[in-house]
Amino acid sequence: MSDELEQLYQSTYTAVVRFLYRKVWDAERAEDLAQEVFVRALAHRPEKPRAWVFAVAANLARDEARAAVRRKRHLTLLKGDPIAMPTVELAADDAVEHDEQMAAVQEALDTLTARDREILLLWDAGLSYPEIAAQTGLAVGAVGTTLARARRRLVEAHDRRHTRTGTDAAHS
Amino acid sequence: MRHIPEEELHAYLDQALSRSQCVEIESHLAACPSCRALRDGIAALRDRTTALLARLAPPRRVPMSFEALRHQGDLRASIRRRRIRAAAWAASLVVAVGTGWGAAALSRHEPPKPVAQAPVALPSQQTVAVVETTPTPSSVHLPDSTPPVRTHRAARAERPVERAEPAQPANSDVADLQAKLALLDVTAPVELAPIEPGADRAAESGGMWRTMSWDGARNETGDELPHIEGLPVIRVQVQATDHGRRPLMVVAQQLTSGQVIETIEGPANDVSQFLSRRGEGATALAPGEVGLPSAADQSMAMQVGGDRMLAVTGALPPDSLRAMIRRINAEMRGK
Repeated sequence: MSDELEQLYQSTYTAVVRFLYRKVWDAERAEDLAQEVFVRALAHRPEKPRAWVFAVAANLARDEARAAVRRKRHLTLLKGDPIAMPTVELAADDAVEHDEQMAAVQEALDTLTARDREILLLWDAGLSYPEIAAQTGLAVGAVGTTLARARRRLVEAHDRRHTRTGTDAAHS
Repeated sequence: MRHIPEEELHAYLDQALSRSQCVEIESHLAACPSCRALRDGIAALRDRTTALLARLAPPRRVPMSFEALRHQGDLRASIRRRRIRAAAWAASLVVAVGTGWGAAALSRHEPPKPVAQAPVALPSQQTVAVVETTPTPSSVHLPDSTPPVRTHRAARAERPVERAEPAQPANSDVADLQAKLALLDVTAPVELAPIEPGADRAAESGGMWRTMSWDGARNETGDELPHIEGLPVIRVQVQATDHGRRPLMVVAQQLTSGQVIETIEGPANDVSQFLSRRGEGATALAPGEVGLPSAADQSMAMQVGGDRMLAVTGALPPDSLRAMIRRINAEMRGK
């Protein structure tokens, strides 16, 4: 039993971190939450551990999002204050480009409905259609339809944004 | 001829269809160029999506070992046990005060006598001696209505670091008390582990502990003591480990509120053992101390660099501990 969990941990930990990261957008927090998920799995010994792990991860991310909304009110207040930022050498062009690319995908992902996004992320995390269906309450037959729509919308939203920023760059 | 719907091609490429469905689709594709084109388009879309999502990945880091994870789970279980035990303790004290012994507390008019001067003291007086060290006597006046939390706090406040107690009788005092409380406790087994007066607090947790001066410890650990900058340091303890490895270190510091927090850094196994031992309430009962585990203490541990673990313990909300541990980690890594 424990061995099964250990195997699951080895094989899916990274996927769980990534899944959480795409919800909380904080690498360290995603790792904390992923550890939390597996610690709970150790205590619970779920029957279908893989599906269970992602279901708990999704719940934790949701709780996290609620807490973040509460914190945000405070943060927006702080934003107005000038902060002494250390001057960073922008030698790392690659890093900047990487960040921009990432932001573009993040923005595209945000245009999806919550359900489409969830199903796409679960699929990308390696869950099967029946597992996705069980977790989201969708019929197995509807998973394909949702994924078809989510994929199309993600790519379209991304390309649209890309062309836009492309023309912006050309103007400046 | 029926063409294949788009979503079915997604499911087909996602390998989510049964064998017979696959056979059906494949035979259609072989005969239908437009469906083949659609399939190629969807395959490209799929790849595109995967590639885009791949950009949304956090920096890859080596995950905590499964062993360390298991330790964390054990640690949490032991903290839970400790809470239950602490609650049992509080309950047993309520019972102690409630079942008749409290009558003595209520009718007591004379000033409290140190137990040492009353070797033939009745059980009632001894228990009163425990409870009456409460800073606010009002909390024991109405034992029946005293909420457990109150009693619990009363007993906690009793931690007699600065209370001067005669060393010799204190020990028998504890033994006596242990016997009596064991009799009293109808709710759960109470663990009392009195140690010799004057014995090192940490002697119980594995030996080889040394309490050191700040500077001495700093020298020994290469200036890498886990601590929070700017807070007064109360105690530094170091436990030697295997040769060549940095020792297990415990630094106690005081917050402005007077609360003590401890920062622990060492090999992951040692740290989690240290914490779980403490979580079981088996450590460090000074004479006269009732041995109530501090239920309010929370521990937060974090895997740092390979098999090392950093932990913070204190009666603080988890978020504060988390923030502290991150800060300490950042400071230690920064060096």
